[in-house]
Amino acid sequence: MIWQKYELDEEVLKATEDMKLWQTEKGIIEISSSTLGTAIKLDNRRKGYVFHGHGKLLLDAIVETEEGAIGKSIEKELNESFLMLGDIEEIQQHLTKASKEDLSKMGYENQQGFIARAEDLCDQFFKKRVHYDKRFNGDYGLIFAFLNEAGKLDILVAKGSKLVYKAMDMLFVSNEGKVVLKSQGEVVCKKNGKSVIINQDESVIIKK
Amino acid sequence: MFIYVVFYLTTIKLKTICVKLRSMRIELSEDLNEEMEKLKEEIADLKEQFRNFMEREPKRRRGIHIDVGDRVHDYIEDVMEGVAEGIHGELEKSIFIGPRGIKILKERPYHRREDKIEVSFPKVAEVMSALGHEHRLGILSELMSGGKYINELQEKLSEITTSTLSSHLNVLEEVGLVVQEKVRGRYLITIPGRTAYKMARRVTRFLERRNEK
Repeated sequence: MIWQKYELDEEVLKATEDMKLWQTEKGIIEISSSTLGTAIKLDNRRKGYVFHGHGKLLLDAIVETEEGAIGKSIEKELNESFLMLGDIEEIQQHLTKASKEDLSKMGYENQQGFIARAEDLCDQFFKKRVHYDKRFNGDYGLIFAFLNEAGKLDILVAKGSKLVYKAMDMLFVSNEGKVVLKSQGEVVCKKNGKSVIINQDESVIIKK
Repeated sequence: MFIYVVFYLTTIKLKTICVKLRSMRIELSEDLNEEMEKLKEEIADLKEQFRNFMEREPKRRRGIHIDVGDRVHDYIEDVMEGVAEGIHGELEKSIFIGPRGIKILKERPYHRREDKIEVSFPKVAEVMSALGHEHRLGILSELMSGGKYINELQEKLSEITTSTLSSHLNVLEEVGLVVQEKVRGRYLITIPGRTAYKMARRVTRFLERRNEK
């Protein structure tokens, strides 16, 4: 089944406490209390949320090689709307109905204002994508989409220790012993201790 | 008698044949002379034509000259250029195989390439300044064996306080010799950090040896 007809819940919720939406040894995504959210539904089942409030993304897009470490730590304030798809059961327990006051604190006059903004983000995310329902049943981990400075979406996909992060100037893929990082003209691939580094000056280092 | 008659007749026959042959030879030689004369005339004509031709045409270079037209010339030049570029590209690549891995550099004369890069002296000074502290060199030395948490570094460098250690780490991080994992908090030495540390040690060792001598 092709999933193109997502729906947004009409109710706007708020986080009752600070929450970690995702956490591994490579990264953390957290939101603070009072962050607003609305559920993304498919077939009347909640499959994700659009959040807007205060939060933080931490990601260590660093690869350790014999030649030294390459990459950087990403620290990003999440003050704009962002999208999350995946297992949301635990999150739902820490969400409650947002009041008018909560909405106004974030600059919204009413619920419709928040939902309209959430729809824009969802449209941008789902626009050119054709998804199969089964892909978002929770077995495929978590998907996050953040608006970047260029108005495009940075995507983070995580499942257990597996991770893919695609931003404007960076691609980071980590799957246990295998890591690929492309950033600022540098490319590093590492697999089971062996690494290949392509530097900015196009020199190549291969480490056994 | 019979033999004599036969001999006589044979002799006459032979004489007749000889006369015939002589007349044929004369005819042939006349024909040949004619042909020779004709050929001499043709050669003279050709020589004359050649002389006239040489006077009209400008002198050309020795060897075979084939006019293949501009397009073919251009094509050959393109092909040769491509071949030259290919050879040049291959020559530029240098492959270094060391005990710890293989290093391939695009340009062989590495030091020459370095010379071409514009050096920002304030930046160099900044990096050197970050290196120029024994505690910071000590930190780099510890990180050469792998990433470490601040408490692990503190254990190894017990002579400095935690706050001093943090400030040294910040200096090293600012210039890009060290990077910190924000999630786990570990400090790692970067590729430039490793290179700078090795370079500093090499220069020092070189100077020490020189002074010894």
